[in-house]
Amino acid sequence: MTQLAQYMMGGLATGSLYALVALGVVLLYRSSRVLNFAHGDIATLGAFVAFMLMTRAVPFAVAVPAGMAAVAALGAAFYFLVLRPAKEATLLGKIVLTLGLALAVSGAIQVVWGADTQVFPFPLSDTRVYRLGQIVVSEMMLGTITAGVVLLVAMYTLVQKTKIGLAMRAVAQNPDAAQALGIPARRIYALTWGLASALGGAAGVLLAPVVYLDPFMMLDPFLKGFAAAVMGGMDSFPGAVLGGFLLGIAENVFAGYVSFKFKTTLAFVIIILVLLVRPEGLLGREYHRRV
Amino acid sequence: MRMFTRLVLAIAAVAVMATVAVSQPAERGVTPTEIVLGTTMPMSGPAAFWGTGVGGGIDAWLRHINDQGGIHGRRFRFAIRDDAYLPPRAVANVRELVERDGVFAIVSQIGTANCFAVRDYMVENKLIWITPACGADIWAGMKERNRYLFVTYPGYVDEGIYLTRYGVDNLKTKNIAVFYQNDLYGQQGLLGVKRGVALARGAKLVAQVSYEVTDAEVTAQALKLKESGADTLIFYATPRHGALLAREIAKIGYKPTLMSTFTLLDPVMFALAADAWDNVYLSTYVPVPGAGDARVDAALAILTRINPALARNPFNANAGVSFVEPFLEGLRRAGPTLTKDRLVEAMESIKNWDGEVIRGVTFSKESRQGINRLFMVKAERGQYRKLTDWYTYPRKF
Repeated sequence: MTQLAQYMMGGLATGSLYALVALGVVLLYRSSRVLNFAHGDIATLGAFVAFMLMTRAVPFAVAVPAGMAAVAALGAAFYFLVLRPAKEATLLGKIVLTLGLALAVSGAIQVVWGADTQVFPFPLSDTRVYRLGQIVVSEMMLGTITAGVVLLVAMYTLVQKTKIGLAMRAVAQNPDAAQALGIPARRIYALTWGLASALGGAAGVLLAPVVYLDPFMMLDPFLKGFAAAVMGGMDSFPGAVLGGFLLGIAENVFAGYVSFKFKTTLAFVIIILVLLVRPEGLLGREYHRRV
Repeated sequence: MRMFTRLVLAIAAVAVMATVAVSQPAERGVTPTEIVLGTTMPMSGPAAFWGTGVGGGIDAWLRHINDQGGIHGRRFRFAIRDDAYLPPRAVANVRELVERDGVFAIVSQIGTANCFAVRDYMVENKLIWITPACGADIWAGMKERNRYLFVTYPGYVDEGIYLTRYGVDNLKTKNIAVFYQNDLYGQQGLLGVKRGVALARGAKLVAQVSYEVTDAEVTAQALKLKESGADTLIFYATPRHGALLAREIAKIGYKPTLMSTFTLLDPVMFALAADAWDNVYLSTYVPVPGAGDARVDAALAILTRINPALARNPFNANAGVSFVEPFLEGLRRAGPTLTKDRLVEAMESIKNWDGEVIRGVTFSKESRQGINRLFMVKAERGQYRKLTDWYTYPRKF
């Protein structure tokens, strides 16, 4: 029983990382219906920018927001300079553009910082642990779980309780009507890209101390975070977090009791099963457009 | 008139000789001033740390040789292609290097699965292949087909046997667990440990826990290994996954004797895993930089002068030198008229030869396995200390 609880606790920590990634994916999808395949690489870039600043004696409390701001600017710039001019492109075309951004960002990271694996300095320790009976929880583990929940609440509040959130929802529903009502749709889109990218940067910064910093650190978490978003419902913030946690726990328990070799396969089997039963995801809502 | 006829005949003879000389096929990738070499390595992806170290080391050493005037007046041009540790990309890269760039030889390569994917193409096309850095056991049984292959890299099966036997004989190992990468690299190491267990008396393999090279974290693996109760844990992993696991088991309070393959010998492990990498036992086939061998340290100094980034990756950079050194010696011995077959003959004449990094290399008409020995080192406070003399295992190819 203790063993099962420990597997679940480990899964919860891993799941919180997936949830952080899923939040950014969902934010962008909700407002623009674009699946951003560059989200993982943007997250990595945010972590690298923060890391570079810290190696130049910039304090953590400044370096991390700066890293998030840098990728937020990149996200907004990508919207204005690439997606906006390509507004006539199909949804698939826009997704392919994000794939191009992913390749460009990944290449740039390797050129600037190399492909070495590095230790990311972080105020919380991954080796300082607390014991709840037989269960071990690290400081870092608690930090990422808390960050996942805090960011979820922040995103939910922003989108559901503020005017900007209302504008984001309006633009997502019908950009032309929203613009006719005086909502600056382009700026709202750019803001959404910036916010989603900053969220990615936060995920990168929280992930780097756990999995080490390298240009490819988001490869697996991005895929799993994306899967978590699909499982939870692509338009639901609570769904993204729930999907992340469930996926992390399921993977760990499956690996511990059945097989390590099919751990990744399991993630996709679960998604297929969930989508068969609830095509809109666990907490997603069926998408209806009013006519 | 007779004089004129003689002159015409002489000119005609010279012209014919010149035509014959020109039409004789030149060796691919060799000109009077240049030798073209190539390799495919993971310069990106999960194994990029190995690729940038080994590839960077080879590149810097060839530049060093070029700075000294090359060999027999020929300088090296070296192309590195990135395969991201993916076998299909390794195959495409090698074909491109051979068929488009026309390289004289493929120097090294990384990844047992990648080498296995390329092996048949290399052998069937009779291409010179110098020390692919992959478990050498994949060459076993290919004696008749590997005329152009020369290897100075140990097999993971032989190494697994050595690690196991060393643990049983010297570290009171009884119950062994293996943490391995789920591909040919990790599976060969696991096979070696299994054979070592079969050879050693009283030891058992109690757990074999794998990970995928794309896995971001290994918390479940650490718990499973702790659950096994193994007193000795052997690693066949990438530096990142090795460090993650060492840190994770320390976190959950599991403290077995740690042993590892030489692929985790780079000092970066101390930076990544910190104290968790202390007291790890590792085998090696070349002296480790910074452990008292002046020639090895001097070689590293040359590399880091040419490419300062290699200072972060010293063992792998020097490993790159060890892969290419016997080939350079072969080129020296082959003389100025370089052909594939002259090089093969020259390589076969190398007996118990010491380079700056690699030691005791022997090739022959019958054997392409240039080295068949290892020794043990121990990680202590951020450095490696030599523990044993050479352990020799049988040659297989």
